[in-house]
Amino acid sequence: MSIKIRMRGKSKAGIAEVKALIKHPMESGLRMDKKTGKPYPAKFIETVEVAVNGTKAVDAQWSGAVSANPYVSVKIKANSGDEVSISVVDNTGAKGSSKLKLK
Amino acid sequence: MKRRSFLKGTLATSATAVAVNAGLLMPTTVLADWNSKAFSSKTTDDALSNVFGSSSVTESSDIKLKAPAIAENGAVTPITVDATAINGVESIAILGSKNPMPLVCEYTFAPAALGFVSTRIKLGQTMNVVAIVKADGKLLKAEQEVKVTIGGCGG
Repeated sequence: MSIKIRMRGKSKAGIAEVKALIKHPMESGLRMDKKTGKPYPAKFIETVEVAVNGTKAVDAQWSGAVSANPYVSVKIKANSGDEVSISVVDNTGAKGSSKLKLK
Repeated sequence: MKRRSFLKGTLATSATAVAVNAGLLMPTTVLADWNSKAFSSKTTDDALSNVFGSSSVTESSDIKLKAPAIAENGAVTPITVDATAINGVESIAILGSKNPMPLVCEYTFAPAALGFVSTRIKLGQTMNVVAIVKADGKLLKAEQEVKVTIGGCGG
């Protein structure tokens, strides 16, 4: 199942703030299941990539200490009409991506 | 015949394994690969030297670290690091000093991006949130304490 990403972005004077909400449990692998005493298996997003018109702008690496259903916001140099895309990969290999045209 | 192909197969896989290992030993060259060594480090200094190759940082007032003084729920702590006042920002790392694995996230910026990151992180207890900004090869730091009141009535 692919990871769902909702994103928004607006360009103002050549600088765009891109915000994204990613639907993901972000299980660190450290939290214990009280019934069985075993940890919940780790499942968290490892890499996040933001690109403008296909060129990489931001490259992020995350650990399981990023909150569940992560919110992320970055600022990039882009004008309205430019296409911004976000793609993520988690530690189990699940992927997700989303793109939008800047207003 | 079977045996021969089996041997060939094992040789080929071991060769790729060696190649992968060699790649992982060079931490700064590969950005796309997840830096498991840095993320499993148990102390802030270890994490820093695994990410940036150095743990010597200087405090900088140019980094604007926005974090709540009191976080009622440590699992969702909004953090904003604004380093747009600094030129040539290459990367930003966010760490929670007392988390089991302090390194929370690391962002690398291409010239098309500004040194700005806003996200939400998990904090296990009251601790200092550290933002490290790498600009022009130098490591700059900003730090702020966040009080975490889990299960409390808002402190």
